[in-house]
Amino acid sequence: MRNLDIVSLLLLVILVSQTPVLSWKKEEFRNCNQTPFCKRARSRNPGTCSLFADHVSISDGDLTAKLFSKNQSHDSIKPLILSLSVYQDGIMRLKIDEDPTSNPPKTRFQVPDVVLPDFLSKKLYLQSLSTETIDGDAGPSSIVYLADGYEAVLRHDPLEVYVRFKGSNSRLLSLNSHGLFDFEQLREKSEGEDWEERFRTHTDTRPYGPQSISFDVSFYDSEFVYGIPEHATSLALKPTKGPNVEESEPYRLFNLDVFEYIHDSPFGLYGSIPFMISHGKSGKTSGFFWLNAAEMQIDVMEDGWNAESGILLPSKQKRIDTFWMSEAGIVDTFFFVGPSPKEVVRQYTSVTGLPSMPQLFATAYHQCRWNYRDEEDVEQVDSKFDEHDIPYDVLWLDIEHTDGKRYFTWDKILFPNPEEMQKKLAAKGRHMVTIVDPHIKRDESFFLHKEATQKGYYVKDATGKDYDGWCWSGSSSYPDMVNPEIRSWWSDKFSYDNYVGSTPSLYIWNDMNEPSVFNGPEVTMPRDALHLANVEHRELHNAYGYYFHMATADGLVKRENGRDRPFVLSRAFFAGSQRYGAVWTGDNTADWDQLRVSVPMILTLGLTGISFSGADIGGFFGNPDTELLVRWYQLGAYYPFFRGHAHHDTKRREPWLFGILCCLPVLATAGFSRSKYRTYERGHTCSYMLLPYFYTLFREANTTGIPVVRPLWMEFPSDEVTFKNDEAFMVGNAILVQGIYTERAKHASVYLPGKESWYDMRTGTAFRGGITHKLDVTEESIPAFQRAGTIIPRKDRFRRSSTQMVNDPYTLVVALNSSQAAEGELYVDDGKSFEFLQGAFIHRRFVFSKGQLTSVNMAPNSSGESRFSSQCIIERIILLGYVGGSKSASIEPVNQKAEIELGPLRLQGRNGPTVATIRKPGVRISDDWTVKIL
Amino acid sequence: MRVTAIRFICAVVLVSLCVSSSLVGRSAASLSPLLNDPFYGISPQDENYYRISSNTIKCKDGSKKFTKTQLNDDFCDCSDGTDEPGTSACPNGKFYCRNAGHAPLLIFSSRVNDGLCDCCDGSDEYDGEVNCPNTCWEAGKVARDKLTKKIATFKEGVHIRKQQIEQAKLSLANEEAELSKLKDEEKILKGLVEQLKERKEQIEKAEEKERLQREKEEKDKKEAEEKALKEKSDSGKEAKQENKEADNSKSEDKSTDSTDDEKIKVTEDSSSDQNMAEGYDDPAAKAEHSDASDNVQTPSNEHAAEKVDQSVSPKSEDNSAVVSEVGHDAGNEVSPDEVTKVETDASESTKELSKEELGRLVASRWTGENTEKQGEDGSQDSDHETHEEMPEDTYDEEDGRYSSDTDEDLEDTRKYDDTEKYDDTGKYDGTGKYDDNDIEDDMDDTYKEEDHSYKSDIDDEVDLSETTNPSWLKKIQQTVRNILQAVNLFQTPIDKSEAAHVRKEYEESSAKLSKIQSRISSLTKKLKHDFGPEKEFYSVYGQCFETKENKYVYKICPYKQATQEEGHSTTRLGSWEKFEDSYRLMIFSDGDKCWNGPDRSLKVKLRCGLKNEVADIDEPSRCEYVALLSTPALCLEQRLQELQQKLDSMNKEQPQRHDEL
Repeated sequence: MRNLDIVSLLLLVILVSQTPVLSWKKEEFRNCNQTPFCKRARSRNPGTCSLFADHVSISDGDLTAKLFSKNQSHDSIKPLILSLSVYQDGIMRLKIDEDPTSNPPKTRFQVPDVVLPDFLSKKLYLQSLSTETIDGDAGPSSIVYLADGYEAVLRHDPLEVYVRFKGSNSRLLSLNSHGLFDFEQLREKSEGEDWEERFRTHTDTRPYGPQSISFDVSFYDSEFVYGIPEHATSLALKPTKGPNVEESEPYRLFNLDVFEYIHDSPFGLYGSIPFMISHGKSGKTSGFFWLNAAEMQIDVMEDGWNAESGILLPSKQKRIDTFWMSEAGIVDTFFFVGPSPKEVVRQYTSVTGLPSMPQLFATAYHQCRWNYRDEEDVEQVDSKFDEHDIPYDVLWLDIEHTDGKRYFTWDKILFPNPEEMQKKLAAKGRHMVTIVDPHIKRDESFFLHKEATQKGYYVKDATGKDYDGWCWSGSSSYPDMVNPEIRSWWSDKFSYDNYVGSTPSLYIWNDMNEPSVFNGPEVTMPRDALHLANVEHRELHNAYGYYFHMATADGLVKRENGRDRPFVLSRAFFAGSQRYGAVWTGDNTADWDQLRVSVPMILTLGLTGISFSGADIGGFFGNPDTELLVRWYQLGAYYPFFRGHAHHDTKRREPWLFGILCCLPVLATAGFSRSKYRTYERGHTCSYMLLPYFYTLFREANTTGIPVVRPLWMEFPSDEVTFKNDEAFMVGNAILVQGIYTERAKHASVYLPGKESWYDMRTGTAFRGGITHKLDVTEESIPAFQRAGTIIPRKDRFRRSSTQMVNDPYTLVVALNSSQAAEGELYVDDGKSFEFLQGAFIHRRFVFSKGQLTSVNMAPNSSGESRFSSQCIIERIILLGYVGGSKSASIEPVNQKAEIELGPLRLQGRNGPTVATIRKPGVRISDDWTVKIL
Repeated sequence: MRVTAIRFICAVVLVSLCVSSSLVGRSAASLSPLLNDPFYGISPQDENYYRISSNTIKCKDGSKKFTKTQLNDDFCDCSDGTDEPGTSACPNGKFYCRNAGHAPLLIFSSRVNDGLCDCCDGSDEYDGEVNCPNTCWEAGKVARDKLTKKIATFKEGVHIRKQQIEQAKLSLANEEAELSKLKDEEKILKGLVEQLKERKEQIEKAEEKERLQREKEEKDKKEAEEKALKEKSDSGKEAKQENKEADNSKSEDKSTDSTDDEKIKVTEDSSSDQNMAEGYDDPAAKAEHSDASDNVQTPSNEHAAEKVDQSVSPKSEDNSAVVSEVGHDAGNEVSPDEVTKVETDASESTKELSKEELGRLVASRWTGENTEKQGEDGSQDSDHETHEEMPEDTYDEEDGRYSSDTDEDLEDTRKYDDTEKYDDTGKYDGTGKYDDNDIEDDMDDTYKEEDHSYKSDIDDEVDLSETTNPSWLKKIQQTVRNILQAVNLFQTPIDKSEAAHVRKEYEESSAKLSKIQSRISSLTKKLKHDFGPEKEFYSVYGQCFETKENKYVYKICPYKQATQEEGHSTTRLGSWEKFEDSYRLMIFSDGDKCWNGPDRSLKVKLRCGLKNEVADIDEPSRCEYVALLSTPALCLEQRLQELQQKLDSMNKEQPQRHDEL
């Protein structure tokens, strides 16, 4: 079935897209059968693991043990070392590695700089273990405390590690319950053994031989598993193995530059995060993370996959089994107990880091194209936005702006005055982003290449010479970013002195950092290439882009001596990338399926820590028609990262060319007829109204890890209907958005979860929660609802860019629930610096109840020198679902009156609906106040 | 002026007020605390709308009413912005800046107090966040100077335009007269040609009868002799065969196109057929081609076959180099299927690719580039887009005529054939050529300069120079009458010289007829064109305007086509389609197809200028070109008046001295 689907999809893509070249070169990438470790692991039967734990003890606060094999026939098998540690907030870490005292031929690679040092300090030093004999086992199991209500269990024989609810047999997460654990130990090559692997024209020398690891992980009380990006597929992961699954590849985690990827495929794309979340009817969530940067393949098992294995799990709980395989590295896994979806994400980000706080401009609209050709073009595009009164914040330059794809340089003919160009944009409060890729042109006259060569900073090939691959710049080499010294060197390149032509308003885009190597195996670097300390590329492949992103972001911090928050967009990512900036979903295509799949892709990224993400609006390849582009803008306005981008073969598609405007331009513009413009209300500019809300959500992500856009079940964990829904999503806890993914749609079915009602954000009409509504849709907007009981801060004045909105007054939209109450937050800081870390911010909580709205301070009483102040006032309070008929309100403590009248829900719509509006309360956002309805 | 001064003082006072004190919890329902003038931001023409006696004002869109205290109170009451002309409160509002000394300006409300100075008088920024100095007089001076120059251009341009329009009307009248005259002549001549044809056919019939008679006699004679010598059966067989051969030789000249029913068109059709066959340089077409030319052994055909061989040879010599094959195909605008096939082939045999070649090949997916080309670009590929569109000729060195673009190949080859073959034989004097206007439109526009047999319809006035003498028709009529009387049809044997005379006269007359017909057709076609409401574009008909940009020469020929030339290779940017935007835009569409992109097209924006001049050709979107053409045709009297008024108004208002500051 699946294969058939892929074939028909391929056909569809060919038929639909105008690009003549066949998409997705499937044969260029290895499948599991062509990948020996995957093939071996996948063909193993349950119960073949012969390991058992011995020498179990508490040591240095950890539970440690040695793992021995029952098949002692092989001399080469040496005991493995297991250690289990426990951290605050219900996190268990399990490591299994070779015993260093047994002198393995090589130290296995452990991924550095991902786990936060802070996290390590949260370790709970275990004092004691208890033992227990489980289910008639021959031997004992060791049990340690994990968190209140949770215990970690090490079952000695058969080897199994699991988390259970305290004192019960009820499990949460387990490892090796099916006996699929396998650990290929490093060893000397025996006579006549051939370790080389060949794929197409490439040979992997594999000097250290087989070293893969695989094991099964089970999630209990679960209906679905989610996570492990990046795949262009559904949010709830479909099974890849089981009685009803025909041939399917496992989900692959191997960062690759995939030309014209297709949707609905387990194929691995640009980034990898080996973190999986389960969720079930109980409303409970748990998570599992394997810190390992080698190629990974993960099977999700369908019920009954192991019917013939004869293994009966002691638990009768409903569960989902998964099978994890990695080519190299060690077992370094984290178990997160939840129990709510938000807590799992919080726990995960306490290990790998919280999403960084972006600058305000970065949360606004970005305009990109491969390529804005020259300075004149840049000026033209910039002025067209103004001409049509469409706001935008950032203009991007792709690879053609450089001198022959030498990054950090400018094409002298096309961009003779880059500083002046940036200053012109900056004068309007706008920013620029240029691209910097990791492939460095092998050109003796190029300073960067010269320096990197002299310093020996390049990744080496298997023979020890500088690795020479082919990319945009032709023959190229790649800096060894895993090395902190080289990262530091790289980050210095972003100083204004080194990056000639850069100015403080210039930020960076890291593309091709999987790394993409056009003539490499699977369009990437050979696995036997060598990094620092002879670490093979195979061991860290998935983290290369992460380190590159890290070094670039550090560079932007450094150039302003830590005063300015960096903005770096990356295509490749790994666990922890959220600390360094935004990612996007790569080279998508202008078709409806790709519009649809962008939602689960972005939601998955959010679940796995990367809150700041988006898909190229319009689709990178191909030409979207007006309807598709409009629908994409309508949806994309809710992506956390909001950028329009296009391939250089496509037609121009800047928003005004398609009439994507919020407000009808009243000034006549030459060359365009007025009738061409239609208003697409949520198309583009209106997203600027919601910037205060988005910024508040970015801060929430920055402090809790909870993503800006969320699956419905994250907000409604007990509502089963939401578990598979990946067409609608939540923006924060207040807005539900339903994309329109089909042509000429007249209706949309929208499920509104929960018991409270929802207000249509365009009309203010209330809809009942807990049912699916069939709604009429127009081309003007996609369905979006505000949840009753929430308050959304808006800025309703339109400006050229977010920069000019700073002093504008706010509108609060209070959506009252059935008890005439609502709550919401507003976070404001200078939008730019790191001062907020010292408490320089305003954080208010707005509470409406019993007819009065109160603003409560959420910021800690900052005693430090840095304070952020704002003169901004609230100009309007809109009450949705207000049942009273009062005509005025009093404002405390200044004791003034404000009128209540019927006002428009949204200013730009003509003859729009009117709702109860408190006119000009005039209160400041920085103050405590109460508005009482009289 | 007074008002302006007061307003200025107000603004200044307000600024200081705002800076020194901050208002907390401003009272509701009053003027924006930053504005003292309730009519701020309203254009003079609009003030009456607001200065009414009643206390409430209607929103212009009729949606609502608002009180006078709500005017400019920094809170949006009308969705169309009527109540907030002076603040940024309404998203749909407009703000009027007087800009004394310069031109008044209507700006989006979103520009008010946004920290950026948009009005040269600084009136859009009054909240004290920024200080916008009044720059109107300085900026106005520059603008006035510019405007003055523009007006001067327009004045002269209007004059030129008038002349051109008069000229155009005269020429058009002449051409219409000529056309109607030609049509009359055509009618007469047609009759004569018919008569001559009839006569000629009668002669030929008679001749044929004579010939058959002779043959029969000879045959009878021969048979009689043979009968004496041979058996009956043998001789019968041979005679049959001979007959067949005779038939064949008779119909030889239509052998190239045996399927054609219309005898008159035979020659024309066969020629175009050959053209097509020879035009293919695609080696794949070789087989087809040789089939087509099997039974026609003319020198030119041999040459064509040779040529095909040449174009094949590099490929066969270079079979192992897969990449160069890909490059070759990519350069030749192959169909998507072929590309895919080649790519698959290439990727299957990647063993033969060097690492570098593989890198280029994979890169080419994103760029859609000729991989070979990209290699050359490696160090200097900043403009690879253009490379892609104009791949350099792979076979240039061997044969200057070959270019990599299939269409061009076709044209080039045809050009060659036309000059070498058709003109030599003299058979194709254009008789058939102008019968079919479509063919002319589609095919022959590009090479009219080099090849006189493919004249543009502008040139063929020369051809008709002799026919413009009014006496010629009478002469012919006379001659024909004489001939028809002289020739005795029933005389046997037919007088050979008279028969020849008839034939010659027939040929000459029909040649003349066809010339007249072609002139009629070209004139009709020309007169059908849209020369603008006042025929102001008539003068650009038949003209081409060129501009050079980097290595390309762009050539825009209104009513015909636009091209981009690099050396001897020509890319068609589009054929004339129409005017748009009230004759301010020329559209050329359906140009050569872009590899991986749309068909090329060109929009020419027109503006007033004293000469027809192209400037600023640009390609904002791939293969969609935009150019600017100055032309007197756009120098409109009405526009001149507008500009004059604008200048007058700019000169009228002197700005206040900035004494207050």
